[in-house]
Amino acid sequence: MKLHIVNRAPDAGRAVEQALSAMTAEDRLLLIEDGVQGALPSQVDGFADIEGRLYALRDDLEARGLMGRHDERVKVVDVDGFVTLTEQAERTLSWY
Amino acid sequence: MRDEQTPDGDLLVILRHGPHGTSWLREGLDAALVGAAFGREVALLFMGEGVLALLEGQGPGALGQKGTGPTLEMLEMYDIEALYVEGRAMERYGLEQQDLLLETRCLDAAAIAELVDRNALVLTF
Amino acid sequence: MATTEIYRYLIVSDTTNVALDPEGYLVEIEQWTPDVARALADEEGITLDEAHWEVIEVLRDFYARYEMAPAMRPLVKAVGRALGPEKGRSIHLMRLFPGSPAKVAARLAGLPKPSHCL
Repeated sequence: MKLHIVNRAPDAGRAVEQALSAMTAEDRLLLIEDGVQGALPSQVDGFADIEGRLYALRDDLEARGLMGRHDERVKVVDVDGFVTLTEQAERTLSWY
Repeated sequence: MRDEQTPDGDLLVILRHGPHGTSWLREGLDAALVGAAFGREVALLFMGEGVLALLEGQGPGALGQKGTGPTLEMLEMYDIEALYVEGRAMERYGLEQQDLLLETRCLDAAAIAELVDRNALVLTF
Repeated sequence: MATTEIYRYLIVSDTTNVALDPEGYLVEIEQWTPDVARALADEEGITLDEAHWEVIEVLRDFYARYEMAPAMRPLVKAVGRALGPEKGRSIHLMRLFPGSPAKVAARLAGLPKPSHCL
């Protein structure tokens, strides 16, 4: 299993699309920084193919006032959870 | 474009930026060349605007930055011959293999995921 | 990479000297002449003969085409293509340009330092 990390908003370029193309059926995707905009209910359909494997970083949701507005299908992790995801992955890829 | 399976490689460098606007493309190519100089088997995947890096007829930039054309032609001297392009990006830019400087293999999303999975190290630029 | 920092001057003849960077590469690569190569070779304790000159020519062609000085692996390949498989071997280049052939030969050929070497 690989962990893909996206720090760009879905509206800003192709980072999300590229990360999704590069994911196998076990891989997980973590949204950080502006990437967490993708966790909003209006955006989350774009991640339908990886349901159950989509994560967002709590600190970045909170900083943007998006905590609580995110879709319930997105798993929210804190920094410790981020570390755990990294440790569980064989490899980590960043899409920016 | 061939159909046989992609080989397992040591290093996959993903180039996602076009020439001149930023230094990402050049840095990615440098990483690939360093890997090859150290004897690693290196593959390149051009995604998104990165496919524009392969266009025929590029030149140096307005401020005299080097063009990437000569570096791309040099890849074979470093035995970097596994070159892939993202099919969706080729379509989006209206490009065909004949528009490109080098022979590449065009991949759909599933083939990209497989390629990324098969390489021991993947660097995104 | 080529630098523009002038560290010292290489005396080529009574009337000519050329600027070198801290690592001994030409600051202005256009100033290269065969005499510059001979003067640089003297510093390395190398006397240039036909076998050296043909490699220097391969390097200069490589640079003209690709705008970069090659690391060892592509240098071996380029020499092999231009001069035949007997010469396209590390051992041949090690004999001609002892130490680090890609760097030494690039220096004598008036190229910038190879940027993808150890």
